[in-house]
Amino acid sequence: MSTLLSFHKDILEKIHDPSTSELILLARGLGLRRIVCKLLQIYDSPNNLVILVSASPEEESAIGEELGILGCRKPGLRIVGFETHKKDRYVMCILPVFLIPEHAWRQNLYKKGGLISITSQILTVDMLSSDISTEMITGIVLLHAEKVTPTSAEAFIVRLFREKNRDGFLKAFSDHPEHITSGMSPLRTVLKELQIRNVHIYPRFHVEIKNSLDLKRPDLVELHQNMTEYMAEIHHAIVQCMTTTLAELKRANTALDLDDLNIDNAYFRSFDMIVRRLLDPVWHKVGPRTKQLVNDLATLRRLLTFLLTYDALAFHAYLETLIASNTTNESGAPRKNQSPWLLTDAANVIFQYAKRRCYTISASAQKALNTAPPQIELDDDEDAWAALDELEGRARVPTRSEVHGASNAPDGPQRPKWLPDGMDPVLEELPKWNLLADVLHEIEEEMMRLEPRLTSLSPGSNTTLVMTSSLRTCALVNEFLSSMDLDAPRGARARAMMERKLKTYLWFKSNFSDRKQTGKGQNTTSDGKKNRPETDAGLSEALRRKDKEKRERAANRRRVRGGAPAAPTTREGSDAQAGEDVMIQEADDIAALYAPFRVLRGNAAPQGPVEEDITLLGFESDFDAHYGLLAPQQTVLVRAYSDDADDRMLQEIQPRFIVMFEPNLEFVRRIEVRPNASDSILIYERVTEQVYRNSNPGLGVRVYFMMYRYSCEEGKYLTGLRREKESFERLIKERGSMLMPILEERRPGSGESLIKTISSRIAGGRKELSTETSCVIVDMREFRSSLPSLLHASQLLVIPVTLTVGDYILTPDICVERKSIPDLVSSFNNGRLHTQCELMSVHYKQPILLIEFEEHKSFSLEAVTDVKSYAKSSNKYPTKKKTGTAPEDNERASASIQARLVLLTLHFPRIRIIWSSSPYATAEIFRDLKSNSPEPDPAKAVVVGAEEDPEAGAGVNAVAEELLRSLPGITAKNVKHVMSKVGSVRELCDLNLPQVQDILGVEPGKACWEFIHRGERTRRIAQI
Amino acid sequence: LVATTGGDLLGFEGKVTARGNPILESVRNIGKEFGDIVADYQVGRTTGVLFLSLRYHRLHPEYIHQRIERLGRSYNLRILLLMCDVSEHQEPIRELTKVCLINNMTIMVAWNAEEAGFYLSTYKQFEHKPPDMIKERVDKDYYSMLRTALTSISKVNKTDVETLRTSLGVGIIPFNSVLYSELSARQSFADIARASSDQLQKMPGFGQVKARRIVDAFEKPFRNSA
Repeated sequence: MSTLLSFHKDILEKIHDPSTSELILLARGLGLRRIVCKLLQIYDSPNNLVILVSASPEEESAIGEELGILGCRKPGLRIVGFETHKKDRYVMCILPVFLIPEHAWRQNLYKKGGLISITSQILTVDMLSSDISTEMITGIVLLHAEKVTPTSAEAFIVRLFREKNRDGFLKAFSDHPEHITSGMSPLRTVLKELQIRNVHIYPRFHVEIKNSLDLKRPDLVELHQNMTEYMAEIHHAIVQCMTTTLAELKRANTALDLDDLNIDNAYFRSFDMIVRRLLDPVWHKVGPRTKQLVNDLATLRRLLTFLLTYDALAFHAYLETLIASNTTNESGAPRKNQSPWLLTDAANVIFQYAKRRCYTISASAQKALNTAPPQIELDDDEDAWAALDELEGRARVPTRSEVHGASNAPDGPQRPKWLPDGMDPVLEELPKWNLLADVLHEIEEEMMRLEPRLTSLSPGSNTTLVMTSSLRTCALVNEFLSSMDLDAPRGARARAMMERKLKTYLWFKSNFSDRKQTGKGQNTTSDGKKNRPETDAGLSEALRRKDKEKRERAANRRRVRGGAPAAPTTREGSDAQAGEDVMIQEADDIAALYAPFRVLRGNAAPQGPVEEDITLLGFESDFDAHYGLLAPQQTVLVRAYSDDADDRMLQEIQPRFIVMFEPNLEFVRRIEVRPNASDSILIYERVTEQVYRNSNPGLGVRVYFMMYRYSCEEGKYLTGLRREKESFERLIKERGSMLMPILEERRPGSGESLIKTISSRIAGGRKELSTETSCVIVDMREFRSSLPSLLHASQLLVIPVTLTVGDYILTPDICVERKSIPDLVSSFNNGRLHTQCELMSVHYKQPILLIEFEEHKSFSLEAVTDVKSYAKSSNKYPTKKKTGTAPEDNERASASIQARLVLLTLHFPRIRIIWSSSPYATAEIFRDLKSNSPEPDPAKAVVVGAEEDPEAGAGVNAVAEELLRSLPGITAKNVKHVMSKVGSVRELCDLNLPQVQDILGVEPGKACWEFIHRGERTRRIAQI
Repeated sequence: LVATTGGDLLGFEGKVTARGNPILESVRNIGKEFGDIVADYQVGRTTGVLFLSLRYHRLHPEYIHQRIERLGRSYNLRILLLMCDVSEHQEPIRELTKVCLINNMTIMVAWNAEEAGFYLSTYKQFEHKPPDMIKERVDKDYYSMLRTALTSISKVNKTDVETLRTSLGVGIIPFNSVLYSELSARQSFADIARASSDQLQKMPGFGQVKARRIVDAFEKPFRNSA
């Protein structure tokens, strides 16, 4: 199980010594987790306290599991998160022990020693409040070392750790070399922050790795699939849009050196970072247009991936959502500045072809509708609707007819009954699906061929592993495989699946247009009402009654038409949503129109599922013919790439055939590294030596590698390879030239230089001797920001507590509320700042608002104006003048941050404002303010303002609190109360009206409940 | 109605008379008056403003102290309007922050004359304005409330909100199942709250991370010790 390759052993040999600290950079996919686990296993002992820092929750659990397999069970890796102690506390409650505070529970845990994984935030707090005695720590294992920056929590931890503990080890790991290469001497910065001298770099081209891997290359079959014509067309158009957007971006910012911005880079997510880094210093100068362009690039990049991974319908649906959210702004009015790419010809190509991949609206059908309307007096109306539909570019969803039935479907045996009239389904399939089907077939044959030669000794299973890039694709491929029709011609094998999807899509579509009309306001709806002749009501009444009976018989079977089932019921409730009305009316109209047909369909509806069941059954019975006696689950397994966890999966399944549905650099390596790969080949070859050696060398694993030719997928894969190689080369070069500065700073007794390493700006050559340690009380929640770390670096004692009022308490009188710029905007918007200032003014003599800008970003409020995307007019000052007369609502939306600040100071004349250009500056200002002042008392600070809150001092889930706050009826004043009554937002949603009113009071309770449950009423009626 | 000193207005580098002041030029829509007062500008009955350009401060660091001294204890709200026109602003701002704290003054920072003028006129305009604009808002329409609520979760954008409201359930529940008929046209907030991570991941534009964040926000308890 835990077989390590020779280079793994070699690395471990080098790093296992607990007296040294080092940074290990390994190429991705080479089994970093295995090394970490092995290392942890070596250190596992109750006498040691080894802490694993900054592992993500998934990693934590996976490492814990792996350690369990390796034999560290009692107690193994324990994970300290925000909720872990709960279970334990429950046990303690049963025992006659009273509630043990959270930190005491952790203290106890630390004392017992062993392996512990903690989030960096908690560890920082515990180290500061000495819940964990830093001297006791044997060592720290740090993952994701690439994320360490001078202001990160990890750097803070290392500093706290080294302050008291010089002997403990620190092993930092990273397998993302690309992240370390951006910026100036990045490797040195990381090493400096970690206070580490040694760095080991293991790229794929490292001699040892090469030696141990190249022996047994897997049998790799690269399959280059061409995209379909439409896809290629769309792909080309998207790339074109990206190029235009990039060119636009460059043109708008000629002063900047934007050479890094090219299409190659634009394929990667890190591209956004590059752009932001380049533009940050001038971010306040660039117009909203540039910002939009940067956003657009991200959108387009997403589209590229979606094009290759989503099925045609999902892609089309996504495009539609995109348009909808881009053409209207918050208030529902058409947006002023649209994304420029949306207006290009290329964009039109994208939308056209995306639609054409799904279905076409046949011209004949349209004509039929327009020229020869049925002989009912509703015909005008029908025409109007058709025109309206055309205008909105909508499919004619609810119409249907048998006349145009079978003739249109190109290769389907019969046109499905639910298809709307005039719609020709194209339902293009992703070409890879077919390729996959072929490959699986080939594998099947191969397996059959091998069958007689395999003995029970030979390793590996007949499972075929299909790897995809995301869970989504994974689900899609699964769906495809289970509904695949092998007898169908190429390109139509997934017909059944696609038709099912189309059905769902139509349903979605009807909802979407429903929503659209509601959003668009009352104009359309009132027009619609006027158009509707009164006589119709009487006509359709009878039909409706009839229909209702049918539906009752059909027991819960939903008809395809959106909105229709709810129609009769909601209609009677006259105050139903206006927009819904339109849909309902439309549905009714058509219901009347196709009355005779309805009888037919009434019977057809319940038959739908039966038919499908039959096809499914048919597939099952066919199964043996294609797959022998193997159970389907064992034959083909579809998984998504999931980082290091893949290693274990490969070991467990031991597939002989692997299909990589999408290219993934790491996974190729994982297959290479798979320890059993070597063994399996060896054993296998021994068994079958005479027969196979010559004919089939390296039979062990066969990997099919699928890639779209000339696509971004291909480009991305190749660029990814190149980038990794380049970044490793740069790192190695840097390592060669940077040893000196680090040696210098490790001189003993360099307490002062320690600070310099954090920032030369703080000490700045100036030496100040503070004899007494002055302290700052910091709210727990603030540990997400970098300020506490910097405060500590400037030799202030940081005391973490949970504060109700303020974020930082400097002296008994001075209380500071820190606001970063986005915070400031949002808390002005939701009124929180007002409440906070109110509270501070009540409880402290010197309430202070700290406005903190980010380092390297522009120190100017101008940048602020469009942090949130409320409509920005061309010149912000003149608009302010208008606000005096404009109605209240308008005013709030357009008021600039400056105007709001003015209002704030007018209403709280005692509030002082600190303008700080960076966290570093803040730390300095704090120190300044603290000089010659008495120290604050943490015990007092905790109690301030917390009278009505029984749980003061406990940790808070900030995201959930934020979400709760944004609900109507919940204000800053009662939010604490709600949180003490209800466990989570979800629980609140499950309460009924009286319960909510009980908590919030009658009026706000009603508002809140109605908000939460809006849209449910109709459904409940429909259910009955 | 803005009253300013008739005398020396030294905020700017060099001597600028009140009348040729670029700040006042950008103050529009408000009547101006010139009089002999201790502050540079008086923008309300109880509000006085001192103006200081950091560039001037660098040359004459003692100036502002004299002005503050002359100001004495007058005015309820005392503003120091700083114009940040140097690149090394960190040191002077730190120093002035301390000075202002001692003298009960509030600093406002402007980056150009236009912005400074805007501050002045806004102070005057807002003199008797109720704080509604910065207080919690009460009423808004359903969609914007829903949007604000859901976008408060990080990574969720407008498009996602749209997707959440309309298509929760598409592709998740088999088309013919009984459950399907229960899905109404629109998804309520509670429906979204009940969605599982798997469901969310299947929606267009949603990945693992986004789905997890949404589920976390809805399901994780407010208090970890509750």
